[in-house]
Amino acid sequence: MKKIMALILIVVLTMSTFLVGCGSKDNDKTDNGTTTDNSTDNDTGKDVADEKEWSGTIKVQMIGSFKMEDSTDPVSGVKTKGVHLLKEEFERTHPGAKVEYVLMGWDSYQQKTQAMLMSGEADVYQVPGIASFAAQGLLEPLAPYIENENYDLEKYINGQINGWKAMGPEDSDLEIYGVPVLGDTRVIVYDKKIFDDWGVEYLSEEPTIDEIMEKAAKMTGKNPVTGEENYGLYFRGKYASDLALNIGESLGGTWGTGFRYKDLQVNFNSEEMKKGVQYLKDAVAYAPSGILSEQGNELFLTENNNIGMTLRIGPGFLKPIYSNGLDERYGASLLFVNPEKGMGGVFEGSPCAIGKSSENKELAWEYLKFTGSEFYQQYLWDEYMAAPVLKSATEWEHIKAVPQMEVVLKAMGRLWGPRYPYRSAQPKSILASNVELALLGQATIEEALDNAQKETEEWIKEQQK
Amino acid sequence: MKKKNKNTQLVWYLFLLPSFLGLALFMAYPVMESFRLSFFRSNGTIEKWAGIDNYIYVFKNAGFWQAVRNTFYIGFFQLLISIPLGFIIASIINQMKWFKNFFKVIFFIPYVTSIVAAAMVFLYVLHPDMGLLNTLLSSLGLPTSTWLADSTTARWGVIILSVWHQLGFIIIISLANLQAIPNDIYESSSIDGANRFKQWWFITIPNMTGTFAFFVVMGWIGALKRFSETYILGGLQGSPGRSLYTIVGFIYERGFGGNEFGVASAAAYILFAIILIFTIFNLKISKMNKAN
Repeated sequence: MKKIMALILIVVLTMSTFLVGCGSKDNDKTDNGTTTDNSTDNDTGKDVADEKEWSGTIKVQMIGSFKMEDSTDPVSGVKTKGVHLLKEEFERTHPGAKVEYVLMGWDSYQQKTQAMLMSGEADVYQVPGIASFAAQGLLEPLAPYIENENYDLEKYINGQINGWKAMGPEDSDLEIYGVPVLGDTRVIVYDKKIFDDWGVEYLSEEPTIDEIMEKAAKMTGKNPVTGEENYGLYFRGKYASDLALNIGESLGGTWGTGFRYKDLQVNFNSEEMKKGVQYLKDAVAYAPSGILSEQGNELFLTENNNIGMTLRIGPGFLKPIYSNGLDERYGASLLFVNPEKGMGGVFEGSPCAIGKSSENKELAWEYLKFTGSEFYQQYLWDEYMAAPVLKSATEWEHIKAVPQMEVVLKAMGRLWGPRYPYRSAQPKSILASNVELALLGQATIEEALDNAQKETEEWIKEQQK
Repeated sequence: MKKKNKNTQLVWYLFLLPSFLGLALFMAYPVMESFRLSFFRSNGTIEKWAGIDNYIYVFKNAGFWQAVRNTFYIGFFQLLISIPLGFIIASIINQMKWFKNFFKVIFFIPYVTSIVAAAMVFLYVLHPDMGLLNTLLSSLGLPTSTWLADSTTARWGVIILSVWHQLGFIIIISLANLQAIPNDIYESSSIDGANRFKQWWFITIPNMTGTFAFFVVMGWIGALKRFSETYILGGLQGSPGRSLYTIVGFIYERGFGGNEFGVASAAAYILFAIILIFTIFNLKISKMNKAN
């Protein structure tokens, strides 16, 4: 029955996209209940009837699994509408304008984007590494465009605009260089069946680290129902430092202050951070043995899962559970926030920005507004299950049909913004390696974090020269 | 007549021009540009003169020395295992009457496999619970390991992968050189009463010293440039605990992970110097110059 429901949901999502994609100028009533009126301001931000004639071509770079043409997943058979839908819609709402796409994968995206920006290859860029590009003066500041049109930033989920703020070479404060496009975050995902087998109460919506540890301890060992070996929890070893910091935040800690590398002050050896690493060190006992090499969680999100919960997992978990008809089996809970600041965790996702060398900035700005339209955001969700960045997404029937998304969207609104700037540079590696040494027992927690603090301070001093 | 010759030569140079341009643009220019960058603090677009600060920084950096240690550790054990093992296997194959080509192909296949693809496969081979290696060890009653989840064993995981990948090359080159040893030396030693082992020990091995020197020099150059497999198995920071962080990993991380192109370029030139010095050292030790 669950499989049938999941199948229906997938068909519904695919069909809805098809309807949206095939929309004419008339209103298209989609199965999500929302009216995707292609000719109104509410949808794409453009009313074609009284719009001026545009000219020129803009190039848009997109990172991810995007494909220009429609495609079919060889495993699930689910059809995905290509990016040509966006092209058609933008060109329809901007008569005379042309848009071309440069689609690339996530591998070495930072290097590829850097090369493209330096050679002025495109007009609009997807820039998860916005801080480093803005610092090099490669991006166009968006404040004048926003002020000129009184562009509504309130429509974006809380914190999304702040999170992507960056500093150009001449700026003295954080400025807007990009608008959010792809939402992302990390949540806790747990397997209700394993909780049931062990007679453990499901995770609360906003669990504390103590609740997690207590429940993980109970679910580690031979499963009383299946007799198979179970692990209480799993976390990605390579990102242990992010999780340790996030736990530290829940205990009142912060990563530090400043934005430019030379102005950074980090709190890597704070008491809260030490406690965070200690929690992780204890947690290793409830995890598969390959945790530091990201091995041992292969069965998670499958029928034969042997792990109670995974800490820090992105919205990508939705696709496998819905494809496998396991959507009701896996629940989601929020990760930790600093109680005073009300935010925590690494800022995730992607914004879009205009290249400084773009020769058609006006049209590029039009495209940026297009990325913030419901049409664009619904397309990304329907076809690629990319988390939307609009507040209104909570009301979409598509989203309501996926209960885990309520937690994902809530989590997106609590991310630490502006994003941790140290993660774009050497201190990220310094902290990560030292936390790993502590988890391996090759250094005490104090030694490891003191060393991380010292190495990072030396690096910062180098940036001040 | 002379003029005609000159014109003909010009035509040839004209044909060579695209290759020269390619070499100048894609080899000579990046090398010079990287050298220039090593004296600047550069994030790709904004540059500031740094003099030799980048070189001093790299020399003082603990992460760089960790990378040097890892690179030499993995390289040393890889060569220590793969050269003798490859030579022994080549000697056995050389003596075989049947299936010679079959074994040559079997051992050579890993070498033609992309190291990136091989490393991806080794993520599963070295899996602590369902990996092939642990299954084999436990079936033999030997202790298993978490391999990539521990600093020491992670390095040994890379050594095993590298030996597996490199063995075919050593076997094929050794076989070619084994077949080049004149047969009459073996025949006369047989008349003198030498058994097979003695022939191998006193005739084959001394005749192979040039080949061994070639393996050592080429092996060390390859080992010092190691990156792909450690990147796949240990990620950008060579996890766990920087145990798989190599010199090229350091260059890549600083250059492309953090846009510190000046530091990365300085490290690249330090690596060049290390390779140069080490190759001269190897040549001296192995007396390859003399052999040649």
